[in-house]
Amino acid sequence: MRWTAKELDMYSQSKEYVDTVLIPLVPLSFGGEMKQTGSMNEFLTILSLEIEKQMKGRILLMPSLQYLHNEKDKVERLKHWANEAKENNFKHVFFLTSDYEWKKDERELENHLIWIPAIPLENLEIDQARGMIGQQVLQILDIFTYNWKNEKK
Amino acid sequence: MSKHNVSRRQFLNYTLTGVGGFMAAGMLMPMVRFAIDPVLSADKGGDYIATKQKVSELTAEPTRVDFSFKQVDGWYESEETNTAWVYKMDDGKIIALSPICKHLGCTVAWNTDKANPNQFFCPCHYGRYTKDGVNVKGTPPISPLDVYETKEKDGILYLGRLKPHGEA
Ligand code: FES
Repeated sequence: MRWTAKELDMYSQSKEYVDTVLIPLVPLSFGGEMKQTGSMNEFLTILSLEIEKQMKGRILLMPSLQYLHNEKDKVERLKHWANEAKENNFKHVFFLTSDYEWKKDERELENHLIWIPAIPLENLEIDQARGMIGQQVLQILDIFTYNWKNEKK
Repeated sequence: MSKHNVSRRQFLNYTLTGVGGFMAAGMLMPMVRFAIDPVLSADKGGDYIATKQKVSELTAEPTRVDFSFKQVDGWYESEETNTAWVYKMDDGKIIALSPICKHLGCTVAWNTDKANPNQFFCPCHYGRYTKDGVNVKGTPPISPLDVYETKEKDGILYLGRLKPHGEA
């Protein structure tokens, strides 16, 4: 489900079924990496909406957490978001990013980080591009189903 | 995930060269979507949409058929991609089922649950449907999958409006 009034209504009516939150992590920069942060933003938007479309009934997609590329306390902020979600009965909290910086904090994020490099799609036909995004979505869905299965008694 | 061993330099190159592709991909998928029930969205046009599927290549085994159409979605017009699970019955009749789970809207797939072969399976809360799209009692969905109207033109499969089960 998406963070819109209508879908959050749907969420409140079916809370017991929606136990997973997905938070896209998007860096912002005005410097030399400005354009890259733009591509990451586009890529993650497409990817996370596609994931949401496949798993609408169990995943709540949050608006992305945005941070300046050199921001010091971004890990703290993220942990705060994650704790808030956990306190509100979400059993699984996942972070989705293309920003390599987060890899350093992987342990602290308790392996809930899904890092996926933004693939160059520029030489591909539209159908191929769609196919590649589709492949990535499938891989990520596997991560979710794996985690859900392993919590099942 | 961590199995992608990409050095920082490679990674930067990827992202720098990838921009054109993102723009192309951006045209396929709306950057902003408002809450529109995917089940309703195909209802808008009413016209039949051509797929890339040859009718002669359909078998009794459900196959995934993707098709795209223009959709006015809130403020924006965008190209939306939907999927149908399509197969041919013994008498030649074509069945095209919507993959949208009638429980809470996840996407179902054919034959992906090893414990329950030859059924449609929803990974979210383990909902199941038999091949004709009817929900299996005791799993969360309470109604059968919706069905697309179908038609054949020049050997190609066309999909029309989405109807409740039993009405297409
Ligand atoms: S959304 Fe399919 S079983 Fe719940």
